[in-house]
Amino acid sequence: MGSPPAGGSRTGAGGLRAVRLHGWNTTLTLLGAWLLLIAISGLHRADFLAQQTVLAVTFTMAITGVLAVGQALVAISGGILDLSQPTSLILSAYVTSVLLALGVPTVVVVVVAVALGAAWGCLNALVIVFGKLNPIIVTLATNFIGVAALFLVFQSAQAPINSALRAFGRGYFLGLPDIWWPMVFLVLVVGWLLPRTRYGRRTIAVGGNRVAAQARGVSLRRTRFGVFTAAGACAGMAGLLFAGANAAFSPTAGSDFLLPVIAAVILAGVSLAGGRGNILLLLLSVGFLSTVPTSLAFFGLTSAWQTVFQGAILILAVAIDGYREKRARRLPRPRRRRAPGPRRARSPALAVAPGRC
Amino acid sequence: MTGAVASIAITLLVVIVVGLAWVGPAFLSTSNITIIGSFVAVPLLVGAFSGFALLAGVVDLSIGSMVGFSGAVFASLVVAGWGPWPAGAAAVVLCLVCGTINALAIVVFGASPIAATLGMLTALAGLNRVIVGRQGAVTALIPDLFDFTSRLALSLPLVFLLALVVVALATLVVTSMRLGRHIRAVGGDEVAATRAGISVLRVRFLALLFSAMGAGIGGILYVGQLGSASNSLGTGLEFQVYAALMIGGYSILRGGVGNPAGGAMGLLVVAGVANILDVQAISPYYVNIIVGLLLLAAVLIDRLRGGDAYE
Amino acid sequence: MTREIGLRHRWIRGGLALVASGTLASTLACSAPAAAPAAPTTAPAAKPTTAPAATTAPTTAAAAAAKPTTAAAADAKPTTAAAPTTAAAPAPTVAAAAGAAASKLKVGMAVGGNTCCEWMKYQGDVARALAEQRGWEYVELSNNNDGPTAVKNADIFVQQGVNAVIEFNGQPSVNPVLAQKFSAAKIPVITYDIAQPGFYFVGIDNLAAGLAGGQALGQIAKDKWNCQPDLVISAEGEGAGIVNTWRTGGMRDGLKKVCPDISEDRYVSFESNGQASVGLPVARDLLAAHPEARKMLVVGLNDGGVLGAIQAAEQLGRDQDIIGWGQDGSFITGPNVDPHLAGSVFYFLEGYAVYSFDKVLDPIAAGSPPPVKDTAGDPAARVEPCPVSAAEAQDIPDTQARAQQLLTAPRGTTEFQLFCPHK
Repeated sequence: MGSPPAGGSRTGAGGLRAVRLHGWNTTLTLLGAWLLLIAISGLHRADFLAQQTVLAVTFTMAITGVLAVGQALVAISGGILDLSQPTSLILSAYVTSVLLALGVPTVVVVVVAVALGAAWGCLNALVIVFGKLNPIIVTLATNFIGVAALFLVFQSAQAPINSALRAFGRGYFLGLPDIWWPMVFLVLVVGWLLPRTRYGRRTIAVGGNRVAAQARGVSLRRTRFGVFTAAGACAGMAGLLFAGANAAFSPTAGSDFLLPVIAAVILAGVSLAGGRGNILLLLLSVGFLSTVPTSLAFFGLTSAWQTVFQGAILILAVAIDGYREKRARRLPRPRRRRAPGPRRARSPALAVAPGRC
Repeated sequence: MTGAVASIAITLLVVIVVGLAWVGPAFLSTSNITIIGSFVAVPLLVGAFSGFALLAGVVDLSIGSMVGFSGAVFASLVVAGWGPWPAGAAAVVLCLVCGTINALAIVVFGASPIAATLGMLTALAGLNRVIVGRQGAVTALIPDLFDFTSRLALSLPLVFLLALVVVALATLVVTSMRLGRHIRAVGGDEVAATRAGISVLRVRFLALLFSAMGAGIGGILYVGQLGSASNSLGTGLEFQVYAALMIGGYSILRGGVGNPAGGAMGLLVVAGVANILDVQAISPYYVNIIVGLLLLAAVLIDRLRGGDAYE
Repeated sequence: MTREIGLRHRWIRGGLALVASGTLASTLACSAPAAAPAAPTTAPAAKPTTAPAATTAPTTAAAAAAKPTTAAAADAKPTTAAAPTTAAAPAPTVAAAAGAAASKLKVGMAVGGNTCCEWMKYQGDVARALAEQRGWEYVELSNNNDGPTAVKNADIFVQQGVNAVIEFNGQPSVNPVLAQKFSAAKIPVITYDIAQPGFYFVGIDNLAAGLAGGQALGQIAKDKWNCQPDLVISAEGEGAGIVNTWRTGGMRDGLKKVCPDISEDRYVSFESNGQASVGLPVARDLLAAHPEARKMLVVGLNDGGVLGAIQAAEQLGRDQDIIGWGQDGSFITGPNVDPHLAGSVFYFLEGYAVYSFDKVLDPIAAGSPPPVKDTAGDPAARVEPCPVSAAEAQDIPDTQARAQQLLTAPRGTTEFQLFCPHK
């Protein structure tokens, strides 16, 4: 009764084989595309390969990268997408600005911002877990509510210009932006730990096949709470960095990040169906996507065109990704029975896997 | 499915009752319904067409930007000297091209619909800005089209009534015609649909083209109503439409559920709530809060009714 | 199974109805009486008292008669161009009568709803307060920076039978449609800053404001760099349409007046949408694409856009020689003013209502609507732009404080009079 679990099935020897191949493929493709872009831009204008470009790209990478970690966690765990990141980002940024203006020590503000993000994530998780509702719809709804509520509170906010946070938002460490390093650290830590810790492996398992995971004793409820709280904490941290890096912001400023973050997550090979994805690749995908607008600026194109290119890149990338996945599924698998299983997509005519969003 | 329609019908009734009580009998006056109807006509139309894609199990998130793109193309062509009909045809054709790209990526290449249509959304939003250019908007007040979009029939806006007719036709197709059954079958269980001999590929392709066509027509009508195409036309429309469609019983995650009549009622519920708040001059942000809550309530009720529970 | 679902189903329906009626009951119990229930009057009802008052005193009639207007307000008047004699005499009686016989207007205001700036909200607040001072009805809607919403709001105002409308429409491309609706309903409209034939224009001359800012910045460039910057960056806001062309373009023109010899290839633009956070990454990329530029000037649609470029320069380590001059004064007051923002041009937007009420609405209420002056060059009420340097701006309070002070000032005082250091 009902359609197959939204999480899609990735188990089976053939599936795993496809995953591993896929992982390397993605890395090479991303790296290749990025290097190609750099090469083309560098050939067009030699001054593209300069410190200023690196700075511009890394500044753009910072906040998108932190948000992408949170989004990737949600996607890998089978939650598809967290559409309420804009609310979480701005909420933390706003509270950060207010607290700093009140003179609260920066350390405390950092903790509060991350905790606030985590709290928002936890709130989402409450609705998702106890309502048993799909996260993408829940977060769509909570974002509607959240942004509107934020508008009732403020129209424009600024973190104090002389605060340590704003200085952090402008400063450098080892020649690269201060705000870039926490992002890299986060990606490396989470990306490294995810497949190597119990919690991480449980997250991936739940995303891959929650029925099997549950059968193995993984608490779905606890995993969901963990994932959304962690994702929320990421958004909170992003809000902190955002408040430090921007001269001023309004409640809608968060929505500008939604599409680039989702694009970065998808390009990194994280499947929206869950259970698959390497967070370390986010460095490549966020880096590539952040270099595109800078390249276009060197080519003299306006920012409208950069949106066009980003969209086109995403369509192309997911088309290629989908195609590869279809071909991988057609790889010969060891068969135990002749009769096809009940919910398994065997027919090559089917373009979309059951339950795939 | 009738359960979902019944729920949304009751919600609509509640909104009407609240409106009558709070605002007064003027809430249902033809002048007030005209206001609501003019505003909701294009979303109704776009929603009716996109509902087919939802039914078939593919969500087309690019409809908002596509509406803006269609409006920008249409207005620009008219300003450049084209007649309204050729310009309109060109705009719709270009939208169908975009719809084909969506369909190729999703149906043929197997891309995730959310991801692929998000990409199209982004690309079209950028194209919209490029086409409209530096002035930020293309002004094109086309007398015949403006008359058409402002004309009243039976004291209600003609476009609103036409949108309702389209919804009625769509409901007919979905509930009683073979095409509708096929679409629902494909969205509900594609394995079974394939075994029953229905070409999933063809149905989904068609559904995405339909969605694009609706967006194309919607953009043209907007230009008619507004006398211009701004570079932000249609922004956010997809979230508003899908939130309302989900309130009305559709799902963006699984196909086969939903009914155009229910979807239309979802849109009317949201528009009615917005109207009540407008007339009471309450901040429009409360509308979004209510929409969010209604959406949560709707999916909760759907789940309680036996829809997919997310564990 | 089906029966279970059916039963649950009925329970759900009942539950929903219960919840709904509960909500209904509570809303009825505590529904705010403040917003009077919509008078179910269609357009013809509750009109401004142009007809009876017309007999007692023509307006500043000469101008009224001479100017062919599309707005209905003037149409209703007997265009007796003459009678300057009668103008003087009955004026005091009309004024006196105005106190007694002046009708209470129902004023509708559509605030912009843009997300860029704080003053949008205060525009509405000040208008509401002024209406309350006069004992008038006031209906406020938000255009939400959206064309269809602006059109819908126009329909609602017409339905509500307002006597006059104040519009701040961030999507001016729909203004012709609004004009048609309002003129059909014979409702006079005041528009802030964005001209529309037939609407009373209250606001600044955006071009003049741009020129003033550009000239001020040019003077700095002349003093510091002998008019030789490496780059002149324009923070555009294409969505603002003609206002962007006038303000941002005007700033460039003003700059060129003082520094005519800056070559064209040094002028670069980026799209900021009038917001610092939107413009920041775009400006960063622009600056990276001009890595050799050191001495830079920034102009833009508003303070927010300019700040985006300044912040980008700070992040790229190139802020030693960047100077910006903004527009609208949003970020030049308070403790967080960026040291690279040399100044801005205040319009004191939150206080526009004073001009509207004083110059247009009060006369309408008194029965003598002023002639419809609908261009920035010949406005119904001119708001003077007030260019200020950052140093001067230190004495100017922030938006909220200004709005509060305005409301306690004597009727008719403008913020320009209260706060502008140059008068």
